[in-house]
Amino acid sequence: MNSKFQIGAILRNRLALAGLAITVVVILAITLGAALMPHSEEDMDFVNLLMPPSLEHPFGTDAFGRDVLTRVLIGGRMSLMISLSAIALASVVGTMMGSLSAYHGGWTDAVLMRFSDLLFAFPSFVLALFLMVVLGFGTPNIILAIALVYLPIFARIARNMTMLIKEEPYVQAARLMGRRPLSIIVGEIIPNFSAPLLVQASIGVAFGIILEAGLSFIGLGVQPPTPSLGSIMADGREYFSRGPWVLTFSGLAISFALLGLNLLGDGIRDLTDPRLRERAAP
Amino acid sequence: MSLSAVDRFLPAVFSGRRWALPPTLRYVFGRILGALLVLLIGAFIVFLTMKAAPGDPSLSALGEQAPPEAIAAFRLQHGLDQPVITQFASWLGQIAHGDFGNSLVVASGRPISNLILSRLPTTAFVGLYALTIAVLSSLVLGTVAAVWRGKMADMVATSIAVLGISMPDFFLAYMLILGLALGLGLFPSYGFVAPGDSLLGALHASFLPALAIAAPMAAVFARTLRAALLEVIRQPYVTTARSFGLSRAFTFLHFIFRNALIPYVTIVGLQVRYVLGGVVVIERIFGIPGIGSLMVDAAFGRDYPLVQACMVTFLAIVLLVNLLVDIACTGLDPRRSR
Repeated sequence: MNSKFQIGAILRNRLALAGLAITVVVILAITLGAALMPHSEEDMDFVNLLMPPSLEHPFGTDAFGRDVLTRVLIGGRMSLMISLSAIALASVVGTMMGSLSAYHGGWTDAVLMRFSDLLFAFPSFVLALFLMVVLGFGTPNIILAIALVYLPIFARIARNMTMLIKEEPYVQAARLMGRRPLSIIVGEIIPNFSAPLLVQASIGVAFGIILEAGLSFIGLGVQPPTPSLGSIMADGREYFSRGPWVLTFSGLAISFALLGLNLLGDGIRDLTDPRLRERAAP
Repeated sequence: MSLSAVDRFLPAVFSGRRWALPPTLRYVFGRILGALLVLLIGAFIVFLTMKAAPGDPSLSALGEQAPPEAIAAFRLQHGLDQPVITQFASWLGQIAHGDFGNSLVVASGRPISNLILSRLPTTAFVGLYALTIAVLSSLVLGTVAAVWRGKMADMVATSIAVLGISMPDFFLAYMLILGLALGLGLFPSYGFVAPGDSLLGALHASFLPALAIAAPMAAVFARTLRAALLEVIRQPYVTTARSFGLSRAFTFLHFIFRNALIPYVTIVGLQVRYVLGGVVVIERIFGIPGIGSLMVDAAFGRDYPLVQACMVTFLAIVLLVNLLVDIACTGLDPRRSR
């Protein structure tokens, strides 16, 4: 084995580690950070309107004199909560849909997968926008919209993996023992592809954050005054030429969190997919 | 792919002796039929979903205080009192004649087909511009990363790619505005020049929006190309070609690159969905009068017929691009059509 590959593997491991570290820092910051901040996200300071970053306000203040860092921490909590709930919903429903499709085949398969393909044929942001119009604005509806947009990806993975696994001897044994299909799927089949699901989930959470931010940014997502990363950026956009730091720092905060999630997803994939590890070897 | 259902039974229908089409043509023909079927089903589901939406289009068109007689007249005029399936059938019949009905709110009374046709070229221009930037830059980045894998160039290219994925396009748009428009004054931060008026002016005015849409895509493309190239480089036929004394460059172009292009083109096609998604927000930011900003306006105004028409248009564009990608891939890899 030549040394180049080992260096690559360690580096890739390091990237995964970096991703994990960034993700942990982000989660700690948004869960505990706001409590440690001297300001509240609603505190208005009319003397310090739209102040550039300083020691007291590391991310500056917005047009109401509110501390942007505190708002980003609180808004980040909102964004992550929305994205996590959406991806949790999408992964459970999508995986079950895909697995049931593959396990039963026939009409179940045709109907469920055609539905998922159709969802997948629309541009994701356009579909989310459409769903927001249909469902009406509001946080639970954002979660539902993001979940529906991401559902086909889980369904597709689950279907392909279940197709591969369902004829394995241990699945047949479970069937002969008279276990119900649902119990076989949940107990025997899904655990076999938990790694790719985890990879997708971590990339999906990043995607959900972008989608929420985009929706809130154009004003169809989380409504002000509730802070979310997208609505803070939408706010900052109003006075971008006078106070670019509001949008810049909230955007950097999103990018930092996404970088962590993407690196983590890539890292898990590299570590768990032997085919990819092999591919990296020259 | 979304068309596999149709594929499954189409070859059986067209492979009878009376239909002795060449396999490639038969494949393309099947794909076109499949796309039309998906478009039809998609349009129906969009229509049904829209009917189930809360809010009354007659109220949003006439105002909350409209007298009941006016609302009844409005509903009668737009056929809103008919059963859903009748409404869909007549809507479909109109679409077949290129008539999407009239806009209710955004451009009150204007035919939607006019609105969409007038805005389609704008979106197509910005989208193609972005796609061109993404393809050109990713071909360079991906090839550099694969050829010098594990070296500095690979690290730099791979890092750029990961950063590109991690930055939301609308945030990147504002950073570009801050640096290149407000800071250096190189590009305008707002507005659109039609390529018909001045091609250079259009390329200049739309550079920032196109770059903002292109960057995350370029990152995905470059990663795909890198992985595909590395996969192909390991193949035995590459070693064989080299052992025949063919030059490195010749082997690369004829044996490695061509085969790596298949997954690359597939990803490029899939990402067109992403371009169209990105177009929506980016058009809004830069004040570009395209389909994306039209749809956002329609969404805010609850202009239901217009939202529907935009959705169907987007779906049609995606299906068309998928079709072209499939045909391109068949050209690259003739085995596919069998």
